[in-house]
Amino acid sequence: MTAEELLGLKASKIVDARGTACPGPLLEAKKAIGTIMPGEIMEVLSADEGTKVDIPKWCTKQGHEYLGTLEESGYYRIFLKKS
Amino acid sequence: MESKKMCLGLFTGSVDKLTAAGIIISGAAALDMKVDIYVLLQGARAFRKDIGDDAGQLQMAENPALKAEFMESLKSLKVKTWVEFFREAKEITDLKIHICGLAGKIWGAEKLDDFIDLADDICGIGAYLSSAEEADVNLFI
Repeated sequence: MTAEELLGLKASKIVDARGTACPGPLLEAKKAIGTIMPGEIMEVLSADEGTKVDIPKWCTKQGHEYLGTLEESGYYRIFLKKS
Repeated sequence: MESKKMCLGLFTGSVDKLTAAGIIISGAAALDMKVDIYVLLQGARAFRKDIGDDAGQLQMAENPALKAEFMESLKSLKVKTWVEFFREAKEITDLKIHICGLAGKIWGAEKLDDFIDLADDICGIGAYLSSAEEADVNLFI
């Protein structure tokens, strides 16, 4: 998705994992995905550089759709759609 | 989709390697992998109930002189302790911790109750090898 499309998304769940280092954000995402319905969008906030690689890989493995990442100052907004 | 299996031979009793193991099994948990951990020799000492997270009783596997810096950095980065990693991974996925019976005896811990509450059973080498044979990912730390 383009940055503009990502900005327009309305996430059903926002997971703020900015206070944690690897593997914190991944585990927070894993726990939170169980709380939303298939087709819903989740946004993960992470200040950990590795997360922007980890989450797309995790999505591929778990069958969720990785939508894209927005870079903010000092953190990332990572979007995915639950399968 | 059948879950993938990870088999981890955990020989180490060093705080740095235990932390690495904790991070790796956290990743496995995030992927819903089924994890079997076989705690061997030095590892069994670290799993003793009176040791566990008491880092003062654990060494570093690499460069012992850096222990203070390592522990301090973990704290400031809000990284969980190795026992907390193991506990959280166990809450998320099917993760079993098997303690080698001989290793336990070497460190004066014979009963399951002598180990931290995350330990599931005491086992022998046969159990480790049959799990290793079936696993998709095999690690030895």
